[in-house]
Amino acid sequence: MTTEPMTRRYEMVNVRPGYLMIEQENHTFARRSYFVAEQTPPLEEYREGAQFWKPQEAAQTFQFDVRDTLTGEVVPFGELAGLLYYACCAKGSTVYQIGDLAHDQRVSLYVAITTKGEEGHVPMPLEKVRVLNALFNERLTSPRKKVLILPDLFGLHREIMYQQIAVDFGLTSME
Amino acid sequence: MKIQELAERLELKPATKVFDRDVTGVYISDMVSDVIANAKAGDLLVTAQAHANVIAAANLVDTCAIVVTQGKALPDGVVKMAEKAEIAVFTTALNRWQMATKLYEAGIR
Repeated sequence: MTTEPMTRRYEMVNVRPGYLMIEQENHTFARRSYFVAEQTPPLEEYREGAQFWKPQEAAQTFQFDVRDTLTGEVVPFGELAGLLYYACCAKGSTVYQIGDLAHDQRVSLYVAITTKGEEGHVPMPLEKVRVLNALFNERLTSPRKKVLILPDLFGLHREIMYQQIAVDFGLTSME
Repeated sequence: MKIQELAERLELKPATKVFDRDVTGVYISDMVSDVIANAKAGDLLVTAQAHANVIAAANLVDTCAIVVTQGKALPDGVVKMAEKAEIAVFTTALNRWQMATKLYEAGIR
């Protein structure tokens, strides 16, 4: 008996290892995050107009794009800070409760947390979230198991600690 | 090979209920981002990490089970999370290299 090779429509391409940087402004205490594809995290404080930004934390992670093998289109995911598993959220939270219900149907819920750019935190557009869902669901082999990735329509970026996201804090020291 | 059989042969200690699945490969990593990028469904994840996001990553890529090395204990919350996700987690006193050797000797490629 021969096994047909599994064909997948979407593939992860342009994988860029780097750091998710969390920084804080000295006077307003505003926080923001961004990704750098560098070998070491940038630790220098810097001035931006009247603001003075200081790195707070760095997590090892990676960014990637997704290629549609059917059309050749490459969808960039440069705004993705990481995926947040519902079970890593507070039990009373909306996301936990929705995730718990979804789990009963063998659906694992994740939320795509984006970095904070010029326009603030903008949830990932639905068409891109659809591509992410296709990418990760095509990889599954457990019967009836599904992954559902949602955009951050819950404003989770305001509530969560970045350590709740599936990135690697603590593997490199800021000291 | 099924995970239950492999666990018995390698004397892995179950930290959760055992959800038996075929082991189709192995991925060794301590970085959840690396697991998400590179592990494959059906892989046995060997890691020294025992925190919640290891379960989040293993669940996302559909690994068949997790082996936590160097005798690390799992926090209660992580055990519950893994069981809910139906991912068996085992512990071993061996380090990752020793575990890799044992897996190879057991015929897992």
